[in-house]
Amino acid sequence: MKTMRQSTLQTLGLGDVLDMFRAGRLPADAGALVDRVFGEPAQRGALVISGCNGIVGAGKMMQLGSRLDPFDVPVVGLDFPGAPDGIAKQYPGLVRAFGKESADRMMARMVRLTYDGKRLPESLAAFRPRFLLEAIPEILEIKRAHYDLFRNAYPGIEIRSVTSGFPSSQLGVGIAHPAFPHEVNKVFEMVEPQPSDVTRLFWAIGLIPVPVSDDWSFVLDVLFCGITLAALRYHRDTNMPVWKIDKYVRKHVGPNPVRAHDAIGTAGASFLTWSCLHHLAEHYGPLFEPTPELVGRKDSGLSWYPPDHFRPVVDWPLDADGEADLQTRIVGPLVQMTALMLHENRAHLTHLNAMGELCAQFRRGILAVLRELGPEKSIRIVERYHRSHPEAAQTAWHADALARMEEPAWRQLYVNAEHDGKVGVITIARERYNRDVDAELNRAIDWLKQDGIDRVIVTSDFHLSTQMVGADTGEFFPALDDVDEGFRVSESWSRTARRLHGEFAVSVGFVAGKRCLGGFLELLSHCHYLVSVDDAQLGLPEVTLPVVPGMEGCHWPFRKCPSGEWGRLLHLALTGKSVHARDAVGWLVDFAGPLDQALACAWETVAGGGNGLQRRPFAEGPLADVTSRLPNLPPTGSSAAEVARSAILATIRDACGAPLADALAIQAKHSAEFMASAVCRRGAVGQERDRTQV
Amino acid sequence: MFPDARIPYGTWGSSYFPAWQQSALAEVNIGQFAGEAMGKILGHRRVPKSELDYLVIGSTIPWHWKFWNAPLVASCLGERLPGYHLEQACATGLQAVIAAGAEVQSGAHDTVGVLTFDRTSDSPVGVFPERRSYQRTIPLADVWDNFGFDPATGNAMIATAGRAARKYRVDRREVDDLALYRTEQYFEAKRSGFLDRVLFPFDVLNVQGKPLGRIEDDLGVRPLTSDALRAMRELDTCVTGGTQTHASDGMACLLVTDAKKAAALSPRPEIDIRFVAKAEIRTEPSLMPEAPAIAVQKLLERTHLTMDGIAVVKNHNPFAVNDAVFAKALDYDWRKMNRTGCSLVWGHPQGPTLTRILIEALEEAVDLGGGRVLVFGCAAGDVGIAALFEVGERGNR
Repeated sequence: MKTMRQSTLQTLGLGDVLDMFRAGRLPADAGALVDRVFGEPAQRGALVISGCNGIVGAGKMMQLGSRLDPFDVPVVGLDFPGAPDGIAKQYPGLVRAFGKESADRMMARMVRLTYDGKRLPESLAAFRPRFLLEAIPEILEIKRAHYDLFRNAYPGIEIRSVTSGFPSSQLGVGIAHPAFPHEVNKVFEMVEPQPSDVTRLFWAIGLIPVPVSDDWSFVLDVLFCGITLAALRYHRDTNMPVWKIDKYVRKHVGPNPVRAHDAIGTAGASFLTWSCLHHLAEHYGPLFEPTPELVGRKDSGLSWYPPDHFRPVVDWPLDADGEADLQTRIVGPLVQMTALMLHENRAHLTHLNAMGELCAQFRRGILAVLRELGPEKSIRIVERYHRSHPEAAQTAWHADALARMEEPAWRQLYVNAEHDGKVGVITIARERYNRDVDAELNRAIDWLKQDGIDRVIVTSDFHLSTQMVGADTGEFFPALDDVDEGFRVSESWSRTARRLHGEFAVSVGFVAGKRCLGGFLELLSHCHYLVSVDDAQLGLPEVTLPVVPGMEGCHWPFRKCPSGEWGRLLHLALTGKSVHARDAVGWLVDFAGPLDQALACAWETVAGGGNGLQRRPFAEGPLADVTSRLPNLPPTGSSAAEVARSAILATIRDACGAPLADALAIQAKHSAEFMASAVCRRGAVGQERDRTQV
Repeated sequence: MFPDARIPYGTWGSSYFPAWQQSALAEVNIGQFAGEAMGKILGHRRVPKSELDYLVIGSTIPWHWKFWNAPLVASCLGERLPGYHLEQACATGLQAVIAAGAEVQSGAHDTVGVLTFDRTSDSPVGVFPERRSYQRTIPLADVWDNFGFDPATGNAMIATAGRAARKYRVDRREVDDLALYRTEQYFEAKRSGFLDRVLFPFDVLNVQGKPLGRIEDDLGVRPLTSDALRAMRELDTCVTGGTQTHASDGMACLLVTDAKKAAALSPRPEIDIRFVAKAEIRTEPSLMPEAPAIAVQKLLERTHLTMDGIAVVKNHNPFAVNDAVFAKALDYDWRKMNRTGCSLVWGHPQGPTLTRILIEALEEAVDLGGGRVLVFGCAAGDVGIAALFEVGERGNR
């Protein structure tokens, strides 16, 4: 087995993705792991979440309760008698996700007990606690005493802390630090000597455990607290109100860090941020020193943003120089903090990169940003930042950690490739296609070709990317004003997709998650075969944004589709409504089935086994009268979508009506021209640009 | 007067003063605007708001939530400061600076922000239930009804100008010439870029965070001609639409601190701005325009100075008659005053008027290489206020 870089599944002790296809099943079985963590069904023990009424505790009661529900694991919430009920607030979300009947059943299974902090309730024993997820306040002594309480009562109990800052070495237990919003975010930073059954169980029930090293605040809160601190420091130095700084941070990095504190709950969130930074500053110096404003907020709990009746009156626009200075003071500390984490090897680079995107609203991963800047520019930004904060230059500055950007782990942050000498697997660890994914996908293809691999499966990474939702619309912002830029994006991404068709003897697109939409469906459709789990949603939602599909979705699928089924493809593209994979066999996908069967089918197909699929004919010449198969379409409901529907129909007509050699440019031209139209600028992409680009 | 107090050079600023109802300032809570605007001015001046430890605010027209006073405005500035509100009609903008000097001199506070503001547009209407009054319940529009009626004398503001003009035998032609000259002084200061050093533009947002308007000019100021002034109808003796000020909206701010901190905060630490003296008088009923001249006479007497020893003379002059009376009373050439403009021209938002005048005067003195700065003006109730400052070089008196 050869890999471009270490697979992230290996960090969980789950092997390689290629092995999974070869075995025809996932490397971890949820039922077996439940038995190992909670005991056999007859002796099933409980998950206990202490601090269950807090934001973290209540969210995890819902998330873990719902995911462990099929395995009859009792979930017991523990809190003080006077703690305000945080669990009932979660009930509406549970109803939305699972329906009232299931939600009621799950709630009925959740047991809530109270205690005084010193003695565990006697009734807890009846539930046989096997795993404690501790979510109590961030006070070291209290946490340690809490663990002793449980260990004395239930020797051998597995304990994980949700702490956002304390290392495992301080607490004496493993860490499972979850990301906000806790009821839905699947990411947990895991600290443990070796990947445990708990970690593998989390993965097997659809969560995203991410191993990190045992260093203060791990990865996520260095990034999140770090960017918050950078914003607050800029506020302190310049008086610019935090709401405006947030807008600039959103423009240049992605999140609204200060607003997020108010959204989470100012008092608790500010305390946690202060706690992380305070301990980081004690350990690493002034780079992390909390500002007095943060110190004050942790005690007062006063919102960072002004109340509604004091919505800001005075705007604070910056000129180009001012904005460059702000960018330096926001990004500079972030680069320095990232260099520190790299120096300490805090996580697999793909994890370190993805954490900001998955959990802190970063528009792009921090390492992807640094990689684009290059080491020299990255270091210069930090040095410029040090002019405004010279104390930060004294400690914790590891410029040398930025010097290895040419290594595979840096170059393949999102896309990995593995092969066994005959078959390759390309995995994509990002849910939205962007220029980073495109570049890395090309490098992965090059790498496989270089090793003589001409059979490939293209899929998600079975870890960080649980679905493939299409193109990152932020990539289209420049194209809203520049038709050439729109053409360039569409044309270059389409050429990448065509490599999957033209440069391999066999290519299989594999949909493992719950949806594959837009650009990703266009990409995987370029493979010779498309295999999917049967309940995955497949769709081309572009018409609803509205944009015109840019990766050949308006002609490529038609060339592989029997003419009698063109109406279904037209419906897909012109309504934006998705279909289940099981309903798209024969005209969009080649096989749909349960995950194990789909894995096996993909492997047999790519490896050339006897049970492989029959390849659908592919028409390279012009297709006649595609649009004459237009089915009755429901109204889109908006004038913009009607315009887009017409544009997509025209694109289908022109691109299908041309030979394959010409169709790419035709599609790209239509896509680019629509992107630069007023309709598109007023639509979701334009609104998103206006909202996020100050 | 306050030997330990200083005004740090170049840490001040003012909004433009758009005439009432002509800008987005007519739509805002002016206390909130002032707080946010001061934060931005200080930011531009590279003074972190955290340097302040007290705030004296001044305004004359009730604004929403004024009960919450300086602490609320400080919150809008972005800093939780204590402080108080001070009000003395049109003297507010100078009195607030004096009060801040007293706070520093007393040792009560280290760095005091002075923030004055008012919105004459849509001033609130107060309802005063007074059962022993024959009207029982009296509604009062805060700006116009007060201008029109001094309860102590029964006369309007404008009547005091007419009475003073008659008492001093002021000539209408001279008043017209004076008003024309003042306008030319203003436009020359604007052309020279002088005003850009003290006035800040502001983009005002609506509640949705969208642009409501940009405050970037003293809207309502118009060039005058001699013929136009001559042709204007006289409203009272020597008072026409062209020889009196107009209501406007705005804010102004500066800092007062000790000498060491002033040097640390100022972009030009070598400049030393001291408080020298203050005087205040109340003249005979309905002769308000002569009150400032009398206050200045008192100030000069007490400091044993003459007008020859003053480098910059600048005043709040709601009526051109004020300056004509001052010139006669002090035997002083009114052309030597108000060289960078005055409230007669750029309008009168009441609270911040004398603060902006002081800021402009200090900036002018720095241009001249230093010297004594005399700032004075009239206020409701036939009051005159005058204060003397000295702009020098640090270490030299």
